[in-house]
Amino acid sequence: MIRRLALALALLAVTAMPAAAHRLKLFATIEGGTISGYAFFIGGGRPEGATIVIRDAAGTEVHREVTDGEGRFTWTPPAPGSFVVTVDAGDGHAADIRLGEERFGPTVSAPTTTMPTAQALPADTAAIEAAVDRAVARQIRPLLEAYDEAEGRVRFNDIVGGIGMIVGLAGAALWASSRRRGKGGS
Amino acid sequence: MAHIPDGVLSLPVGVAGWAGAAALTGFALRSLKEEAIPGTAILAAVFFTVSLVAVPVGPSSVHLLLSGLMGLMIGPLTAPAVLVGLVLQALLFGFGGVTSLGVNLVNIALPGILAGLVLAGPVARATPGRAGVIAGIGAGLCVAATGGGVALALALSSSDFVPSARIMLVTYLPLMAAEALITGFSVGFLKRVKPEALAGARP
Repeated sequence: MIRRLALALALLAVTAMPAAAHRLKLFATIEGGTISGYAFFIGGGRPEGATIVIRDAAGTEVHREVTDGEGRFTWTPPAPGSFVVTVDAGDGHAADIRLGEERFGPTVSAPTTTMPTAQALPADTAAIEAAVDRAVARQIRPLLEAYDEAEGRVRFNDIVGGIGMIVGLAGAALWASSRRRGKGGS
Repeated sequence: MAHIPDGVLSLPVGVAGWAGAAALTGFALRSLKEEAIPGTAILAAVFFTVSLVAVPVGPSSVHLLLSGLMGLMIGPLTAPAVLVGLVLQALLFGFGGVTSLGVNLVNIALPGILAGLVLAGPVARATPGRAGVIAGIGAGLCVAATGGGVALALALSSSDFVPSARIMLVTYLPLMAAEALITGFSVGFLKRVKPEALAGARP
């Protein structure tokens, strides 16, 4: 029994160390009217050759592509709108993400010549807003990626907590069965 | 892979999975003996941790299940052990889901229990080396059966997420090999040092 316990504990120690795991997630962002992002497995790994399907608000399929070696995809919709991006790894792993129309920002094509003067004309404000929007999107993208990754990480605390829960359940079952026997059961 | 998430399965499939899971677990717990509790808990903990570690393969990622080993060691008690592991994984990490828990349990535990029922006799009679080979082949078939169950559940639910046969083959073949190796060595080792630990399926 001791040896078996030691074996089981050694197995646990080995398997608990690389806290990789098993859930498909999707990251997507909008920069300058282009939807781009990637699919990833929590704990590491990007699905290569997974199917990306983008549907519009009405549920009609508007775009379909296959992820590259880094799990990435990119698509520019003809007009801003709300879209649902779905990734399907082909074996039951799937994830989706909803992108609202408000994420697209002002609909101004890339400004060609804008001279920001002290008294900006009303026409320029839209262009400035679009430029700021793109800059902010570019700056916060790493933050969003880091957040998505951190949110889905398999934490050592959770693993230890789960094992503790199982030990507790076993204790409760043993207690219940010893109580039953104490009452003159079996 | 074996952890089908929420929102993929249709309602009848999910309900049928829950019914099957309840029947398996109830049947196993009725015959629960006190001395089997610690072993079941240890294997539940092993399943819980081992199936958190996934290795990326092509468009997907795979992880060990060890259902064949569980079936040989604790027999029908594989069902409650897998149930505890899956509930904790769903609550702590969001792997799998609540509505799909029944289907996932049946897909993982049922092949293991069947393997335990069929193989306990031959393993008990064989030499340690041969027992390891028998158990390894059984464990590989368990993984294949789990893959088949996942594919069936998805195909019965909707046409959106039907797995492609090529991807299933690419991802499950290495897993079958790994699972067979690990189970084979574990069973060979247990057969040498503690043969009575492999009598799970016998009453």
